[in-house]
Amino acid sequence: MAISAVARETVFALRRQIAKIEGTLPERLQAPVGAPLDADADADLTIVRRGLAAALPDAFLPIGVEPLDAALSGGLPKAALSEIHGLETRDAGAVAGFALSLTSLILKQAQGLPVLWIGTTEIFREAGFPYARGLQVSFGIEPRQLLFSEAPKLVDALWVAEEAARMTALAAVILEIRGNPQRLDLTATRRLHARAQSAGRPVFLLRQAAEPEPTAAPVRLIVSPAPAVPRETVAGPLAGSIGRPTFTISIGKSRTALPGQFTLEWNPDERVFDERRGEERRAKNPVPVVSLSGGRKDPAAASGAVLAFPAPRSSDAISSATGDQPPPGQRPAHLSPRRAG
Amino acid sequence: MISHRQGNAQRISALDERAEALHLKRDMGIADARAMHPSIDIVEADPEADRRLLEGLADWCDRYTPLVALDGADGLFLDVTGCTHLFGGERAMLDDILWRFLQQGFDVRAGLAPTPGAAWAAARFCGDRIVVSGEEEALLAPLPLAALRIAPETRASLESVGLRTAGAVMAAPRAPLARRFGATLLLRLDQALGRLDEAVSPRLPVAPLSVERHLAEPVTLTEDIERLVGLLATTLKSDLERRGEGARTLALLLFRVDGAVSRIALGTSRPMRDPQLIQKLFHERLAALDQDIDAGYGFDLVRLSVLAAAAFDMAQADLTGEVTDDGADIALFADRIRARLGEGAVLQPVAVESHLPERAVAIVPFSEAPRRTTPPKRPEKMQAPKTIFPPERPIRLFRAPEPIDVPATEMPEGPPLNFRWRRALYRVTRAEGPERIAAEWWREAPDDAAASTRDYFRIEDAEGRRYWLYRQGLYGGSQAAPRWFMHGVFA
Repeated sequence: MAISAVARETVFALRRQIAKIEGTLPERLQAPVGAPLDADADADLTIVRRGLAAALPDAFLPIGVEPLDAALSGGLPKAALSEIHGLETRDAGAVAGFALSLTSLILKQAQGLPVLWIGTTEIFREAGFPYARGLQVSFGIEPRQLLFSEAPKLVDALWVAEEAARMTALAAVILEIRGNPQRLDLTATRRLHARAQSAGRPVFLLRQAAEPEPTAAPVRLIVSPAPAVPRETVAGPLAGSIGRPTFTISIGKSRTALPGQFTLEWNPDERVFDERRGEERRAKNPVPVVSLSGGRKDPAAASGAVLAFPAPRSSDAISSATGDQPPPGQRPAHLSPRRAG
Repeated sequence: MISHRQGNAQRISALDERAEALHLKRDMGIADARAMHPSIDIVEADPEADRRLLEGLADWCDRYTPLVALDGADGLFLDVTGCTHLFGGERAMLDDILWRFLQQGFDVRAGLAPTPGAAWAAARFCGDRIVVSGEEEALLAPLPLAALRIAPETRASLESVGLRTAGAVMAAPRAPLARRFGATLLLRLDQALGRLDEAVSPRLPVAPLSVERHLAEPVTLTEDIERLVGLLATTLKSDLERRGEGARTLALLLFRVDGAVSRIALGTSRPMRDPQLIQKLFHERLAALDQDIDAGYGFDLVRLSVLAAAAFDMAQADLTGEVTDDGADIALFADRIRARLGEGAVLQPVAVESHLPERAVAIVPFSEAPRRTTPPKRPEKMQAPKTIFPPERPIRLFRAPEPIDVPATEMPEGPPLNFRWRRALYRVTRAEGPERIAAEWWREAPDDAAASTRDYFRIEDAEGRRYWLYRQGLYGGSQAAPRWFMHGVFA
């Protein structure tokens, strides 16, 4: 029972109006039970409006952790540009690890397709070149599925990324950039996003040590490392051991979610995300925050304006609102993520 | 006038007509010349630049034949066998060469003969002469000995016994000549007369296939060149189809009106013959070279050559006309990136059997990576058994391990308590290890096996970042203190 496009548009317009009156975000409209929108639609269909076209929930990559998926209304958009930020270059391991976990989830559906990782020479020198053995062990990505592209100049890296984003023969494209270069502006991200949308493949933009900037990507996540839980043995947790990779994810920008913070653990054996279980071992070994430079005084205050949602208040609000875990320890103010719209 | 240094004196090595009119000669001392005519203009000889010019001319001569060879410092051999009819016969071709060189401002002398030796003599001693087969002896007989391409010492000794022309040498009995003056003389003589074959070794490999287009009106715009490439590739396609091959290496030669030649080569990951794809690849290459190609007054000859070809496997299309081949898209994409950014722009890791972390993965250009083939039916005998639990490896590895400062360790053989890396202090909260990785003793014999042994630790710092550190060398003994390195980061 297909309904005409005009009728569907009318339904959406009415829903929008209702949403406005009720104060709900229009992107998160819940279709009422038994709505005659589509013959095979689920009862709890979530309509996500992007521009004029309505997308169905299979346009999302579920991350597999309930609160985060709920906050992102179903997961990360599959056919889109997603920004993954790291606060410092030394967080490159966590940022790359999180992006690769997402890639691994995508590869479960798109088996055998290659993954292209584009980076500038600078970032590969500063943060290390991806190591195929490690990727195979931790994320199940075979070396023959991996393609790297190293460009000495940012312009070339962006060009390669734009060319790659329109390819349907790639499972995912990872573009890694350091800092806030002028070239990577709203227009550049818009071009990447448009190509990703038309090809239906995800593009992950990893930005190491970058300030949040206006971006066309619908989602920006800020990834920082989190202490791992000790390894599980038959006799209980093995003291002093380093278990599975763990990440702290904050939502920096999303059209549907409010900013929030989540701690995720990657299970390399089953290749799924878990919420972190077990105790944090931090309290046992309290460590003062060491200033970045030993010889100098306090590091200079971070440049750039702090926009909406100051970090501590927002995370408190979210943790009460969405009921996720408390943030793992108080981070110094200059390290906390700044959020922009 | 151009001078060069010979022995301890500056001598004239080349001079123009006006200098000749002043009764100056080659090999005259510069001091004498200056004494005669103080106003002469003298330039130091630059053999390198002369060589470059000659190579440029050789490139340009490629328009007549692919077989162009350099001859000494001032000559070019063109093997025009089978090419002359394209230019309207031998006479027309020779005139065309001379006229075009004259237009470019060169004063050249040319000769055409069935053998390289005779052509050499004709060019240098007769000028603008065409020798037909069988006439070599008549040509050479009246010429001086220098026309035989022999060493000056041999020439001098021949002259001292009264043999002053090539004809006289030819008339002399061969056995005493060989005994007295060596085999080279007779070899040169036989080569010039066509009794022995002499191969002209071309400067550049000869392309198995090439198509070209002479243009009445020179083109300058990149778009026009691209369109021409498309046309040439269409012609090339039928040739490739007839041979059942596809191009692996392509070269585009642009001959500029004033003699400069641009050579643009590119490689493909798979044999290719589709004209549109070839045009696309050259589009990228030309876009990348936009600054380097100077069209000047335009190009009047465009040539597309296949330098290397490989067997082309036809793919069966299904009913909808779609050919299902995932790899083709990727290969084309990689070729385009390569055409614009160079050979190493697309890389692929290849697992190598080695326990040293940095050797265990080789990063090779995409075109050189082994292609996925059908899986072998029987398991390979040489394959090492797979471990059930692969060792933990970092996801990023530094190209060169970075030295770190480790002030103290809990135990001598244990992990560090804290360390300084890139000027920041890190406090170790947890550590796993060590994993000992020794050097590959079968590769080279290190002076001290213990010095290159590494103990790897997995470290977590206070913020939760996970690193891979190692200590090189062992404690104790007379060795230098062990050093610590940062080698990679974990997720």
